Amino acid sequence: MKAFKLIWRMILYRPVLYFFDGIFWTGVHTFPLLPGLITRLFFNHLTGEAAAGINTWTIIAMLFAVALGRICVILLGAWADSQHRFSMSALLRNNMLTHILKRPGAQAIPCSPGEAVSYFREDAEQAEDAISWTLDIVGNVLFAVVALWILISISARITFFVFVPLVAVMVIFNRATHKIEQYRQASREATAQVTGFLGETFSAVLAIQVAGAEARMVEHLSQLNEERRKLVLKDRAFNLLLDSVSSNAVSLGTGFILILASQAMSTGTFSVGDFALFVYYLDFVTGFSEFFGFFLAHFKQTSVSFDRMAEFLFKSPPAVLVEHNSLHLKGELPAIDVPLHNSTTELKSLEVRDLSFHYPGADRGVNGINLRVKAGEFVVITGRIGSGKSTFLKALLGLVQKDSGTITWNGQDVADPTDFFVPPRTAYASQVPILFSDPVRGNILLGQPEESVNISSAIHSAVLEPDLRQMEHGLDTLVGSRGVKLSGGQVQRVAAARMLARNASLLVFDDLSSALDVETEGLLWERVFKRPNVTCLVVSHRRPALRRADHIIVLKDGQVHDSGKLDELMERCEEMRLLWHG
Amino acid sequence: MKVALKHYTDLLAKYVRPQWRRVALLGLLIVLSLTLQLAKPQILRIFIDTANGTSHANLGYTALLFMIVALKSSAVTAYSKYVSEDVGWTATNLLRRDVTAHCLSLDMSFQKAHTSGEMIERIDGDVNKLSLFFSQFVMGIVVNVLLLVGVLVLLFHEDYRVGLALSVFAIIAVAVLTLLRDIAVPHWTLDRQQSGLFFGFLTEHLAGTEDIRANGAASYVMKRFYLRLREWLPTRMKAYIAGTTMWSASTFTFTLGNAIAFGFGAYLWRSHAITIGTVYLIVHYTELLRRPIDQIRTQLQELQRASAGITRINELLNIKSKVQDGHGVELTPGPLAIEFENVTFNYEDDDTVLDDISFTLEPGKVLGLLGRTGSGKTTLARLLLRLYDPATGEIRLGGKSIRDPKLTHLRQKVTMVTQDVQLFQATVRENLTFFNNEIPDAKILEILHDLGLDSWLTTLPEGLETMLSSGSAGLSAGEAQLLALARCFLTEPSVVILDEASSRLDPATEQLIERAITKLLHNRTGVIIAHRLDTVERADDILILENGKIVEHGARLELSSNPSSRFSTLLTTGLKELFA
Repeated sequence: MKAFKLIWRMILYRPVLYFFDGIFWTGVHTFPLLPGLITRLFFNHLTGEAAAGINTWTIIAMLFAVALGRICVILLGAWADSQHRFSMSALLRNNMLTHILKRPGAQAIPCSPGEAVSYFREDAEQAEDAISWTLDIVGNVLFAVVALWILISISARITFFVFVPLVAVMVIFNRATHKIEQYRQASREATAQVTGFLGETFSAVLAIQVAGAEARMVEHLSQLNEERRKLVLKDRAFNLLLDSVSSNAVSLGTGFILILASQAMSTGTFSVGDFALFVYYLDFVTGFSEFFGFFLAHFKQTSVSFDRMAEFLFKSPPAVLVEHNSLHLKGELPAIDVPLHNSTTELKSLEVRDLSFHYPGADRGVNGINLRVKAGEFVVITGRIGSGKSTFLKALLGLVQKDSGTITWNGQDVADPTDFFVPPRTAYASQVPILFSDPVRGNILLGQPEESVNISSAIHSAVLEPDLRQMEHGLDTLVGSRGVKLSGGQVQRVAAARMLARNASLLVFDDLSSALDVETEGLLWERVFKRPNVTCLVVSHRRPALRRADHIIVLKDGQVHDSGKLDELMERCEEMRLLWHG
Repeated sequence: MKVALKHYTDLLAKYVRPQWRRVALLGLLIVLSLTLQLAKPQILRIFIDTANGTSHANLGYTALLFMIVALKSSAVTAYSKYVSEDVGWTATNLLRRDVTAHCLSLDMSFQKAHTSGEMIERIDGDVNKLSLFFSQFVMGIVVNVLLLVGVLVLLFHEDYRVGLALSVFAIIAVAVLTLLRDIAVPHWTLDRQQSGLFFGFLTEHLAGTEDIRANGAASYVMKRFYLRLREWLPTRMKAYIAGTTMWSASTFTFTLGNAIAFGFGAYLWRSHAITIGTVYLIVHYTELLRRPIDQIRTQLQELQRASAGITRINELLNIKSKVQDGHGVELTPGPLAIEFENVTFNYEDDDTVLDDISFTLEPGKVLGLLGRTGSGKTTLARLLLRLYDPATGEIRLGGKSIRDPKLTHLRQKVTMVTQDVQLFQATVRENLTFFNNEIPDAKILEILHDLGLDSWLTTLPEGLETMLSSGSAGLSAGEAQLLALARCFLTEPSVVILDEASSRLDPATEQLIERAITKLLHNRTGVIIAHRLDTVERADDILILENGKIVEHGARLELSSNPSSRFSTLLTTGLKELFA
């Protein structure tokens, strides 16, 4: 879909506000027609060509009346425009985020979060500007049409020569647009490199300080900055060149008008007042054609922005970007999904056959994995690093899109694991969980109503109580990057509590224990198993987990190397012994 | 909140002065472009008076002259804008570099309080607004003030009364605008704060999509998104409306200017003091004042946004690190003794994390640090690197206080493998060396070999030059940790801290790197924070922490042979894995 169509869909999102915004801005842009006419009246009054009954004072009074009118529309315009602009970029951001959150979680964005944020920030702003400026274009066109009509009524011949250079400008612009897009893309990418790098730098600030690498990071940033400067300047140089072409074209037009006016003025058919009006309006025509050229260039750049934003949609059509979804700026907020169990969500058996997944462009991945989990079992996946343990869990849960293989839940085929493996069927704690800037309570509940969740039991099972006692505000302690820094183990315990609070049939732990001490880990397993109807699928190489396992699957090089009970495996499987003894 | 002029001039002096040649060129271009702009109305006056006179001989030439002047004027203006843009970007790149360097030097209490998304917003977003400051201030305000002055001088030249009246008008206009200047700044600051919170929120949640998705929290995240929007919208509206008050004021003020020009023009024309061409010139010049004043208005608006940026950047630059750099004592080469003397530490207003810690570790020895999660092990290690400074007490390395050496020197001598491994979107080499290009390939390859990463390296399409993505797709957490260990090797430290370095390694892989760690610890002082007892088997001394206090410290062999020690109790429980 072309940028034009997308913009049109966005305009239709809040048509009433857009309409009033348009009325006000048309007012802002067309009011300057009047001072031109008043100026003409003034000169005609001086040279004695004006109607009787006009004096200098009435002319001055008219000027002030026009000014007050314009101020009114400016204020109204700011009121309407700020709201309209806000909802335009917010809609894009909303739709992008909504879509991202529907994607397989581990493949949700095609770049680093820092880079993604630059798309959310700049490209949405670019589209916001483009839409807001359509109103300025309407206002400017209206101004131009009325001005031309007035000018033609004075002298059609002179007016005609204003058009010639303008048409030439339009032709040049259309020919130049391809270049604009290319330069803009390059400078945007350079910007994303800079912001992406900044984001990574400040996420890794501890490691950088420990390594004493501050100066080198800054040096690398300077290099990226320098590349960006060059690309931005190229982008700008091209724009400036186009600007200069447009104003030159109008200057040439002005020159022609002077030549033509000289004949008319000599013969007395063209007054000084008429001349003043022509030059007054021409000044605006210059501005208009510059703005129009700028708008076209910006419009082209906006289509680059739409392309970039559409990258978040993967295979979905770009129209998804501009779907008319509510931003909930007023009134009730939408209800949060609360997982409720029914006959099909309780796990009886989970079966995986021939599951394969490979990271795009890499050999790494998992191949032909088979697995069976029955209700109440504790199944452990083990193997050395890089053997594909985490990758397998992600492919199973639809956090990455599997290449092939079938998954059945209680004997039924699972068509879309990404949407299927969520609470109340499954809950998951990742290897490196992310907590959000919110109190501990919010991080555990993730929006579930507190009364529907036994939060204290989740905290107890996750062995989080001793940590909470240490924190000044307990459950209300703000954590995440804006709050108290938790230790790696604490983050994992909060993530465990978060998972347990989902009340899911199948709990999936990706090496949750790796930052826990053994005693705490033992306690955690013990408590998790006291919970009713618990089935666990766990990645671990720790002994407490392996001992407890009903079934162990040993992965090696992305494939099932062996599987069975611990004592069987210890007997027959060299890899298992290696993993156990270290 | 009035941003002192000094902040602007300080910034200008610091970041623009180094480019004085280009600035001088810019000045030249500006003067030329102004002269051409001022010449245009003069040509028009000649044109009108000639057209209204008896001889029309030179009208064609006058029109041609106008065209030439207009063409030159726009070319010069475009070029000067380009040069100013270049100056602006060069200056803000320097500023970005300085702000980043400053923020990276701040201690952990600052880093904990700011998300990386917020830092992007502050370092890139705010500084981008400042690039407007450079380009708007130089190209906009300076040019327009010069144009304003030029127009007034030429009006004086026509008639002192007109010149005087319009000068008074210009002064009033500028005064009114200056008075209104600071109205919008606090609103824009609030707006930028909201924007910082919003994009911080996004960064965090875009990083956590895996957790969100698999725990069915998408609708919750969307709700928080909507709440952010609700908080931001009113701030944005106020900022916009506050911004337009200046525009309204200038519209009104300028009408006053037109009225003055009309009044004086009509009066002088009636008293036959001036020609109709000169009346036109006065009206046209007054009209010409509209541009500078109108633009000074919008440029001041932009400057207001930039002011908000300057305020925030100054706030940032004024934050002093609680960890002050040392004055530059050199630590002796070779392994260093570690001494803690009555060290007490607590994170802001929290309970004491370390309480009166004193111990000594001989040079070249290895200390096994044991304790429950939260007992203060990691904190102790961080103090050694001066990521924080102790509240009381002193830490010495090789007999010298660690407050004395430069931080870069200290952190080159002391290195740590942390629990969280952060990778950059950069090549494998850059990830390993932290962008230090001076480390030869042979050395990197040797270390990767020692760590058993050769086979991993051969799977990479471009070897060391392969780009890693920041999400480290295709890289297991264990491999990432091995890379972190490799980083540590490359710095050739005197003291090595392994902080739960093995936590994500499976035993098989761990065995693989045992040898490498032995090599790493050879002839170095080591501190190992471990979860498992076999990890501390290589330790010479053992130190057990509980609630921030030392509960046991001594030589490992002594402790293990003393049946009443905690350590031997641990050894005899049969569980080879430790409580902490």
